[in-house]
Amino acid sequence: MSLFNEFSKGVIRENPLFRLVLGCCPALAITTSVENGLGMGAAFTGVLVASNIAISAMRNIIPDSVRIPAYIVIIAAFVTMTDQLMHAFTPALYTSLGIFIPLIVVNCIILGRAEAFANKNSIIPSIFDALGMGVGFTLALVLVCSFREVLGAGTFLGMPVLPGSTPAILMILPPGGFITLGCLLGLLNKFQKKSA
Amino acid sequence: MQEYFIIVISAILINNIVLSQFLGICPFLGVSKKLSASLGMGGAVSFVLVLAGALTWMVQTYLLNPFNIGYLQTLAFILIIASLVQFVEMVMKKYSPTLYKALGIYLPLITTNCAVLGVAIINIQKEYTLGKVLVHSLSHAAGFTLALVLMSGIRERLEDADIPESMQGTPIALVTAALMSMAFLGFSGLI
Amino acid sequence: MRDIIKLALFLLTVTGVAGAGLSYVNGLTGPLIEKQILQQKIDGFKEVYPQGDKVENESANYLKDPHDPGLKEVNIAYRNGIPAGVIYAVESKGYSGPISLLAGFDIATAKITAIKILSQRETPGLGAKAQESSFQDRYKNKNSAEALEVTKKAPARENQIEAITASTITTKAVTKAVNAAREHFTIHFAKAKQPGLIRPGGTQDEPI
Repeated sequence: MSLFNEFSKGVIRENPLFRLVLGCCPALAITTSVENGLGMGAAFTGVLVASNIAISAMRNIIPDSVRIPAYIVIIAAFVTMTDQLMHAFTPALYTSLGIFIPLIVVNCIILGRAEAFANKNSIIPSIFDALGMGVGFTLALVLVCSFREVLGAGTFLGMPVLPGSTPAILMILPPGGFITLGCLLGLLNKFQKKSA
Repeated sequence: MQEYFIIVISAILINNIVLSQFLGICPFLGVSKKLSASLGMGGAVSFVLVLAGALTWMVQTYLLNPFNIGYLQTLAFILIIASLVQFVEMVMKKYSPTLYKALGIYLPLITTNCAVLGVAIINIQKEYTLGKVLVHSLSHAAGFTLALVLMSGIRERLEDADIPESMQGTPIALVTAALMSMAFLGFSGLI
Repeated sequence: MRDIIKLALFLLTVTGVAGAGLSYVNGLTGPLIEKQILQQKIDGFKEVYPQGDKVENESANYLKDPHDPGLKEVNIAYRNGIPAGVIYAVESKGYSGPISLLAGFDIATAKITAIKILSQRETPGLGAKAQESSFQDRYKNKNSAEALEVTKKAPARENQIEAITASTITTKAVTKAVNAAREHFTIHFAKAKQPGLIRPGGTQDEPI
């Protein structure tokens, strides 16, 4: 399979949030502003690429029976490094993402890609797979964020876009997250059915 | 005493782990189709939550803090949780094979349940004592089970409803969760 | 048996390498993080009491006696070596969680210079408006002699603070914190007949 194929499948056909419905927790919690979505997407992609590289490089030395704990250790190490780097270099983003940075370690997508792809393929395809999934996840997050931030706070990336009208605060509260994701999933299901 | 009461009410109603803090969504959407599976999952998660809360607190207090290796928190906590879930799996397989089969893949997935790691981290952030950690973990476990049970009750009814095809399954479950979350928002000013 | 040992050793090695990598990154980022936290504090103090050129944390001295549990820190701002202002770090219980803020007082005029909300978990769009300057400005230049009150209408007297629309509880929480600081300030600093500082134990005519 061509490398571009590995990349593009993560963006659309096997989009981790919309098609595989994985990684819902951060998708619902931090998507109150587009900036958060981009930040989380970047951090997530970083961890995914790093862990895919590491696991793919070690795929022939990790014994099969302990592979899950080994993956978890590797992923946890990268997550902690990302957490510290963000705390040192991007403090504002670190504070808005809060507890969801260490929670990247339990994001099913990373363990899922390690299990399904990185431990069977060499390093370069694994990198593209990770990039594809990362970009796909980021795009999905930004989509959810856009709805919530524009409708809930009247801004986009901090810039006011609905001057004069009072935003629906409910959208940036927890119910807003659920309803945005639910409706988006429903819409995407409908489009997929039409094209199928 | 009052502080414990506040922790309990806050964890179950005001800051419900699923409906307000968005932790534990995957099992919430995946297992809540049947009431019996929900109760079983709630029980399993409760057990892991309380034990994990206690163990992670002990590791933080006696290992990570004294040696100033706080940055190993994520690594240590997730390893403890993974081992605990493995242990629960073995016990359940031996003593309750029907429940083991009913939960299926969702049992090992408790390891990646954000709620377990999330509550463990929150316990440390709030600087609770061991007693409060146990109460806090148990209350969040109760809140998780409550959300799951409520959701399964609604979803069992939804099976007979006439839902547009593209909304069936996860989308309508999310919209239901939105309405439940709105209802729980009403508890905000309780204490 | 040998298999289990091999597996365990492997896992231990992986964990060891991961841990070593983490210590390295921690060494790099640790000092940066600490510097940042300190800088944030200094920036916060500057915002709340801009006329000071040096701020010292003297909570050990001033929080020795029984005091309101919300008072977390007492910082003295010096100008040219003379104590000019006091910056309190206070906490109180808001609607959805604790609110922590800084409150600055000027010793010479005995007025509140400014407040700055450091962290809050109130409802976005309602109580969270407490972090906006339009709300925090309401506390500027208030006399510290009288306790502050919250009113829902426009303030009629000097010691009244207008509440945020539909967020009286948040406003009351902030005001309660500021009042705790105000009381401590009045007892320990504002009773000076001469400019200077009165340490607990000193008298009004003998500033230390």
